[in-house]
Amino acid sequence: MASDVHSKGVTWDTSNGNLTPVEHLPNSRSESPTPGLVEGTEPGAGQERAMFVHTQSFEDLTADVELTGSRLSEIEEVEEEKEEEQQQGGGGGTGETGGGAEGVEEPKQEVHAVVREKEEDHVFVLSEAGKPIYTRYGSEEALSTTMGVMMALVSFVEANKNVILSIHADGLRVVFLRKSPLVLVCVSRTGQSDSELWRELHYVYYQILSLLTLPQLQRVFQQRQSYDLRRLLSGSERVTAGLLRLLETDAGLMLNATMSLPLCGTTRNIVCTSLQAASSKNLVFSILLAGDRLVALIRKKEQHLHHTDLHLLSNLAASSSSFRQGEGWTPVCLPKFNASGFFHAHISYFEPASDLCLILVSTDREDFFNLSDCKQRFLERLKKRNAYQTLKEALHSPTYPVSQVGIPELWHFIYKSKSSGLYTSPELPVPYHTEEEQERLMDLYQYLHSRLHHLTRPLRSIYRCTNTENLLAWSTSGFELYLCFSPLATKALAMSAVTKLLKWIRKEEDRLFILNSLTY
Amino acid sequence: MMSYPVAPPVLLCGVSKTKSQTILFNLLIEHQPTEDKFCFFHPERPTMTAMRVDAKVVMLGKESVGKTSLVERYVHHRFLVGPYQNTIGAAFVAKSINVGNKVITLGIWDTAGSERYEAMSRIYYRGARAAIVCYDLTDNSSFQRARFWVKELQTFEEHCKIYLCGTKNDLVEGDRSARQVDYHDVQDFVEEIGAQHFETSSKTGNNVDALFLKVAEDFSNSAFEFLPEEKGVNLDQKKNSYIYTCCHH
Ligand SMILES: Nc1nc2c(ncn2[C@@H]2O[C@H](COP(=O)(O)OP(=O)(O)OP(=O)(O)O)[C@@H](O)[C@H]2O)c(=O)[nH]1
Ligand SMILES: [Mg+2]
Repeated sequence: MASDVHSKGVTWDTSNGNLTPVEHLPNSRSESPTPGLVEGTEPGAGQERAMFVHTQSFEDLTADVELTGSRLSEIEEVEEEKEEEQQQGGGGGTGETGGGAEGVEEPKQEVHAVVREKEEDHVFVLSEAGKPIYTRYGSEEALSTTMGVMMALVSFVEANKNVILSIHADGLRVVFLRKSPLVLVCVSRTGQSDSELWRELHYVYYQILSLLTLPQLQRVFQQRQSYDLRRLLSGSERVTAGLLRLLETDAGLMLNATMSLPLCGTTRNIVCTSLQAASSKNLVFSILLAGDRLVALIRKKEQHLHHTDLHLLSNLAASSSSFRQGEGWTPVCLPKFNASGFFHAHISYFEPASDLCLILVSTDREDFFNLSDCKQRFLERLKKRNAYQTLKEALHSPTYPVSQVGIPELWHFIYKSKSSGLYTSPELPVPYHTEEEQERLMDLYQYLHSRLHHLTRPLRSIYRCTNTENLLAWSTSGFELYLCFSPLATKALAMSAVTKLLKWIRKEEDRLFILNSLTY
Repeated sequence: MMSYPVAPPVLLCGVSKTKSQTILFNLLIEHQPTEDKFCFFHPERPTMTAMRVDAKVVMLGKESVGKTSLVERYVHHRFLVGPYQNTIGAAFVAKSINVGNKVITLGIWDTAGSERYEAMSRIYYRGARAAIVCYDLTDNSSFQRARFWVKELQTFEEHCKIYLCGTKNDLVEGDRSARQVDYHDVQDFVEEIGAQHFETSSKTGNNVDALFLKVAEDFSNSAFEFLPEEKGVNLDQKKNSYIYTCCHH
């Protein structure tokens, strides 16, 4: 059995005090063996300004809770009542709201059946009129009654001026996200917390916005409430599927951070300055990716990219082979940057089989050939300065073994520098070579994460022992750290490992992080 | 290592007096002349010389009719099996082709069929010299969509030549009952609108090269009607942003 040790207590508080660096200037990079815990001085912190918008891991959720938080307990009661009604015979209350749920006997079982097939979360999107828009599994038509019931639930609770957040029943969670004109629903039996599931739904929502923009979405439903949004979303199924997959496997989406590709400092510099030089009047962001890892990001002055937008962009680039066949040119909305308009993205891979992908984001839809030219200039500079080959070689080892750190019993870790918005993580060791094991570890990290970021009772640190591994998570104003040890490790060992690891990251930060954030 | 005859390549639009001439956009791009296949920004090329895109060609048609497969077959001589991957927005490739003793470079815009991009479609077909409007021989609704594109082009791009292309010919060859779009019906329609008509298979390669060759030949034959003597474009102009704005018509 798992046991949690919440160290609200002594240990961490004192060490916190001791570790806080004397100097607080963001530019004074600590050479001392105890790296700073204050934001801006932690290992990996950017030297200048951050390139990302500063984000909390649960910013969307905290915003939502501010609205509804005070009524939280009340709402839970309402939900429970509702559940009973449902089980007793199918929608006594739903008739009143006219949500199209007539004749549905046991909607919950239907949902159960759907979820049981796959041990993954099921995601539905529907319109406020109860029309199906998206389902992760199965066809929208087949599930339209389920969706009708969902909408009826939502309306029923709203009729009492409440908001339905989630239903917990029998190991199953149904989480609702209301983003007018859409309703998003996640059904899960994986034991993830509501917050995790809300994050998933937020991502799906932003994915839809990135294809349509918010005004367009609102317009189609204003014109016709019963509009079938699938017409406008057709062809994006792979993109959404890819995103949902990432949410299960990529820690960056959980952390609101991006992993950078380990690269020697000199090469990174050449790459960054070459990309900076390849600018064009309407360019807003130049993003060089190696798979899902960030190699370089150049911004227009004063403009910051949001992690969510970056994850959406990188997922988009990965989800159609058409970007490998030629140069892609597509409108894309970056919903966190501005949900009301389109940018235009030039997306291309350097070689058909390579993972190096350049995304140039412009404000001008006529900019294709300008950006194509930027790409060309960037590539030439790289080659002239012999960095292209080095970069390609770096792709062969996009990560590092945890043994480099030299901490016994340490199997894996995730370290996020809060001020740079970047994180680093070694490759997964042997115990996690199967997909199930990787997902299990990811679930454990998600659990730790949700405890650190609990909406009402956040923890600063948590130590958790299971039969298969010992875990430690720690959050300061400067960083977030998740460590996974073999079951042989002790708590004392785990704690001493933290300082050692931070020192190592400080030593390697040039390679592991992108320390300077350049603008055009 | 990388040196240009004049200056780095850039899109240059011929700033011209008459309406018909503004539709000719010239583009200088990197190209290895010995390489017949498209190798636009192939990073391995040690030397590159400037190449211009002569004619803009746009692929239009309903989702999944096979536009990308057609381009893939023509440019890379292959047919990709595996799950169908929708094009997002549009993809651009350039490809050179010999017509008589001339080399014509087609700049091909492979657009996405999804309705989502319909409002954007003008930026892809504006100034195109040729439009390959595709429909799936096994899907009648795709031919209705092709009619829509024809209308759109007739209204907004009168100088764009239209090539109606029935795709997935291999599917109806083996099984006549699979055909949903009658050859002669299309032929009548094509004659009425003064377009060309092809039936192709990207899977077998049937008729694909012939289609693009016809596009290039027609362009080659008509190019000089519009362009008695197109001067080499002045690369110094690239600093001026106004030369880009002529694309906005
Ligand atoms: N049998 C056969 N199948 C084809 C042929 N051409 C395309 N297909 C198949 O049709 C599907 C769609 O092909 P695409 O070329 O991606 O379609 P598209 O028109 O580019 O679609 P969008 O990008 O979404 O607009 C794929 O599964 C192809 O394998 C063909 O000539 N014969
Ligand atoms: Mg396509």
